[in-house]
Amino acid sequence: MDPALRAAATGMQAQQTRVEVISNNLANVNTTGFKRSRAHFEDLLYQTEQGTQAVDGTDAETTGAIQVGRGTRLAAVQRIDRQGTLEQTGRPLDLAIEGEGYFQVQMPDGGFAYTRDGSFSISDQGVIVTNSGYTVSPGVSVPEDATELTISRTGVVSVASAADGIPVEIGRIELARFTNPPGLRAMGENLFTETPASGEPQTGFAQEGGFGRVLQGSLEGSNVEIVQEMVDMITAMRAYEINSKAVQSAEQMSEIANGLIR
Amino acid sequence: MNGPLRAGAEALRYWEARQATLSNNLANVSTPGFKGERVFARLLDDASLVAEGSPDLTAGGLSQTERPLDVALAGDGFLVVETERGERWIRGGSFSLDAAGLMVDSAGNPVLGESGPIVLPPGPVEIAPDGVIRVGGADVDRFRLERTGDPGALVREGANHWMPAADATPVALEQALVQQGHLEDSNVDPVGAMVEMIEIQRAYQAVQRTMQTADGVMETITTQIGRVG
Repeated sequence: MDPALRAAATGMQAQQTRVEVISNNLANVNTTGFKRSRAHFEDLLYQTEQGTQAVDGTDAETTGAIQVGRGTRLAAVQRIDRQGTLEQTGRPLDLAIEGEGYFQVQMPDGGFAYTRDGSFSISDQGVIVTNSGYTVSPGVSVPEDATELTISRTGVVSVASAADGIPVEIGRIELARFTNPPGLRAMGENLFTETPASGEPQTGFAQEGGFGRVLQGSLEGSNVEIVQEMVDMITAMRAYEINSKAVQSAEQMSEIANGLIR
Repeated sequence: MNGPLRAGAEALRYWEARQATLSNNLANVSTPGFKGERVFARLLDDASLVAEGSPDLTAGGLSQTERPLDVALAGDGFLVVETERGERWIRGGSFSLDAAGLMVDSAGNPVLGESGPIVLPPGPVEIAPDGVIRVGGADVDRFRLERTGDPGALVREGANHWMPAADATPVALEQALVQQGHLEDSNVDPVGAMVEMIEIQRAYQAVQRTMQTADGVMETITTQIGRVG
C-alpha cells in the first residue's frame, strides 16, 4: 500500500503549498502594485508495470501495462502580471503605470531594482525617492522653493518656478521593461530585481515604444481578488481533506491485509 | 487448496493497484491538464486476475486565468515540447517567454511550433483557436498539434508529459481548439473518487474474509478429518 500512501501525501503537501500562496495573496490585498501568485502543479514519475503474458493458456495473450503514479509536485509559483485597479489618491507624488513598465529604483549598492509601486516622496536632499528612501532613477531634484509639482503622462516632471509661476521642466522619469516580467525576482518592499529568466531591462519613457502611461495622483492597487482567492482556498481545503481520506483508506487496507493471519 | 488463496492474493493486488491509482488521481486533483487513470480487472485464460490501466481522456473544465500565455486545448490532441529526452506531448500549459523571447513551458522546455521552437517578438500575443500565434496582428507561427490514431495508445511520463505508445504513430491534429488565457482543469472528479474509495475498501475487506474462510476450511481438513470420535 506504500504507493497509495505516498501519492496521497504528495497531494496533501501540494494543497498546503497552494494555501500558503493564497494566504500571501490575501495578506497583500491592499499592497500597492502587488501582483498575485499562483501555484502550478505537475504529476510525478510513473512506475509502469509491464503487461504480463499468460503463456500457459490456450492462446498466449498480453495484457496492457498499468502505470502507477507517484503523486504530484509543485512545478512553479507564477506571478500573474495583470494590471491592478487604479486608485485615485490626489497626492501629487503618487504615480501609477497604466500598461507596461516598471519604475527604476537606485539601490544603495549601485544596482537597480524595479517596482510598480509609485508612492514616492521627496527626500531631505530634494530628490524623488520611494517609500523606503531609495532614489527613483534617474534622480529628479526638486528645488526647495518649488510649488505645483506636476508629472505628465509621459513622465515629465515640472514645477512652477518661484519667480513667475511658469512651469519649468526639471526631469523625466525613466521606465524599464522586460521580455519576461514574471521572471523578475521579488525581493520584498514591492521591489523586483532582474534575473537571467527576466532578461535585461530595456529602458525608455512612458507612452513611447510600448510603454504604458504614467498617471499622477493615482496608485496601482493589488491585483488580488478576494472572492477568487477565497474560492481557491475552499477548493484547496477540500482537496487536502480528500487526500487525507486517501491516506486513511490506504492505511486501513494495510490493516485488513495484516488481519489475514489470525 | 492453493486455488482460493492464490486467487485471493491476486484480487488483493488488483484492489491495491486500484487504490494506488486512485490516490495518484486525487493527489493530482489540482494539476492542470491532468488525466485520471482508470484500472480494470482482466481475467486471463488460466483464471488468473490482472490489473490493466488506461488513461481517462475526457476533457477537464477550462478555467480562465487572464494570463495570455496560459494555453488549454478544448478538444483532443496535444501540444509538443522539446525536452532533454526528446519530444514530448502536453495538454497545454502555463507557458512563458524567456529572455530571448523563446516560448517555454513551466519546466523551461521549448514549446514547438510548425517550424521548430517558437520565438516571439515583443508585443501583445494573440493565439487563435486554430493554434496560430500572432504578435501585433502578424502571424508568427502555429502550434504543432498532434494526436495518436488510437486515442488510448499513450504512455505517461510525469511532469504532465505524454508519449505516444511504442506501436502508435502520431498524426497531425486537424481540428484544433486552442484556448488562450485558460488552463484545463484536472479531470479527476473528487466525489466519484470518494465513492470509489469506499468501494475499494469494502471489496478489499470482502476478499480478505473469503481468504480467511478458505484458510478455515483448510484448517478443518487438516486437523479434523480422520479424527475418530
